[in-house]
Amino acid sequence: MTTINRLSFLKATGVAAGTAAIASSPALAAAVEPGPVETEPSGPVAKEPIIAVIRDPAGFEITVLSGTTEKTYTDKLLVNRLLKAAGRNHTVKRQGVA
Amino acid sequence: VSSHREAPEIAQDPVADNADVFAFVSPDKPGTVTIISNFVPLQGPAGGPNFYSFGDDVLYSIYIDNDGDAQPEIEYQFSFSTSIRNPNTFLYNTGPITSIDSANWNNRQFYSVTRIDAGPAKGSPGQGGPAWGRGPQHSTVLGKNLACPPCNIGPASTPNYDTVLGPAAVHSLTTGESVFCGQRADPFYVDLGAVFDLADLRPFRNLHLVGKTLFSDPAPGVNGTNNLNIHTIAIQVPITNLTAKGSSSGVLGIWSGASRRKVRLLGDRKNGHAESGPWVQVSRLGNPLFNEVIVPLGQKDEWNAGNPVDDSEYLPHVQHPELAGLLPVLYPGVFPNLDALNKSGAARADLAAILLTGIPSGIIPGFQNFTGSTNADMLRLNVGIPPSSSPNILGVVGGDLAGFPNGRRVFDDIVAIELRAIAGVTYSLIKPSFTPDAAAGQLTDGLTPASVSTPYLNVFPYVGVPYDGWDHPSM
Repeated sequence: MTTINRLSFLKATGVAAGTAAIASSPALAAAVEPGPVETEPSGPVAKEPIIAVIRDPAGFEITVLSGTTEKTYTDKLLVNRLLKAAGRNHTVKRQGVA
Repeated sequence: VSSHREAPEIAQDPVADNADVFAFVSPDKPGTVTIISNFVPLQGPAGGPNFYSFGDDVLYSIYIDNDGDAQPEIEYQFSFSTSIRNPNTFLYNTGPITSIDSANWNNRQFYSVTRIDAGPAKGSPGQGGPAWGRGPQHSTVLGKNLACPPCNIGPASTPNYDTVLGPAAVHSLTTGESVFCGQRADPFYVDLGAVFDLADLRPFRNLHLVGKTLFSDPAPGVNGTNNLNIHTIAIQVPITNLTAKGSSSGVLGIWSGASRRKVRLLGDRKNGHAESGPWVQVSRLGNPLFNEVIVPLGQKDEWNAGNPVDDSEYLPHVQHPELAGLLPVLYPGVFPNLDALNKSGAARADLAAILLTGIPSGIIPGFQNFTGSTNADMLRLNVGIPPSSSPNILGVVGGDLAGFPNGRRVFDDIVAIELRAIAGVTYSLIKPSFTPDAAAGQLTDGLTPASVSTPYLNVFPYVGVPYDGWDHPSM
């Protein structure tokens, strides 16, 4: 059985707190999280894939289709990550990126 | 045509193209209503090896409004699934198809029928088609794995089609409905060649602006849909299953639609494409010729995606139809009273009643199919009017209250009825001082049900046996 002493507890909570701080700061998260890595698809897409559509890159508006539902969110971090994955040469204004 | 290829987008998507809707009190079972919705129009009977079918990726819906709010209280959904016995042959059939479960039939299609009802779940929670608002719905699966008949290929492949294969595809459900889904002869008749050649109707070609320079005498019409097939969805339902509170009387608003998933990813799956998102309506139909003749080209696709409850947008096109303005121009001197009516700027309240609200009581003795003031394109069927023992193909205009626009029967002469109405025949109903032009009451494209080569049936599904490819190799 693992023994939890005060030092290990502080170390654990310190790491957790640090992670939470990074996650709440998009700039820090972007700096720390690895960027997208292009890869070969491992298989076919699911029969009913979840699909995200960036409606308004400037407003960080994204629509997610899943099953027969459709919901729209504002998510700066997610939109920026998808834009990054879409590639530097992609023309991004208001026409949206899927 | 009635609504065959009537809008730019749906003309490119025949599998989802809603071509006709019919609704009538069943003549042989007057305690029931039959609703028919046709898709995949203008099929050449010899169109093999991949003969026509419904779309496995299309949701087909029949909507019923029974309280006059132009929104559905009931929906019947039809979903299809194709099954291939042997993927290693190119053949539709590997021998004669002598029964609906024949082992020689390689490319079969099956379907399910689900009824959606408004209100909190009594059974399973359900999700209605795009015409529903946000209120709760619940669903009941009425039938599963129901077989469609094969397409009518020819006497070697599909012998005894009329006596064996067609009747075998009529399914009686335990909840009281009968259903049929499959290929039929197109029941609609229209002289397409004349209508779209500047409305140069052959019986009046010698009076037409251009036609009179080419022809000196009238000619009979030519049925442009003759010898062509279509895919029929037909359901026969006890009247009390459709009316509000199970009444044996009342007026039903009826329309149908076809929907596709919002997103489709092509070419990324070996056995089909991937789809996601809500159902989006791509085709709808209530009254025949509404989208085809009333709605202008720039709004037709939007109309297909919309719902009857929002149709007030199209009211100006009904009150001042483009065709009414064209008739006096195309037939100089033939429609002077219509011309004066057009120039007066008077709104065509008669057409608005026929197409958008129903006809109130007090206009036609013994008849009304009014559903309220909401302008909505729906077929309106007063189920309290019994079937006619001697039907008139001109329906209410011909004194037969059981015909269009009281619902619509498969043999009703829609082209003549609507031409005459637009030409002013029905305007005198709401303004008795108006005298329709003599020619208005004679307008026709020169066709009758006899212009359809295969006879209508006297029993469900009422639409005739499809033309076979062997005997109809070209149109």
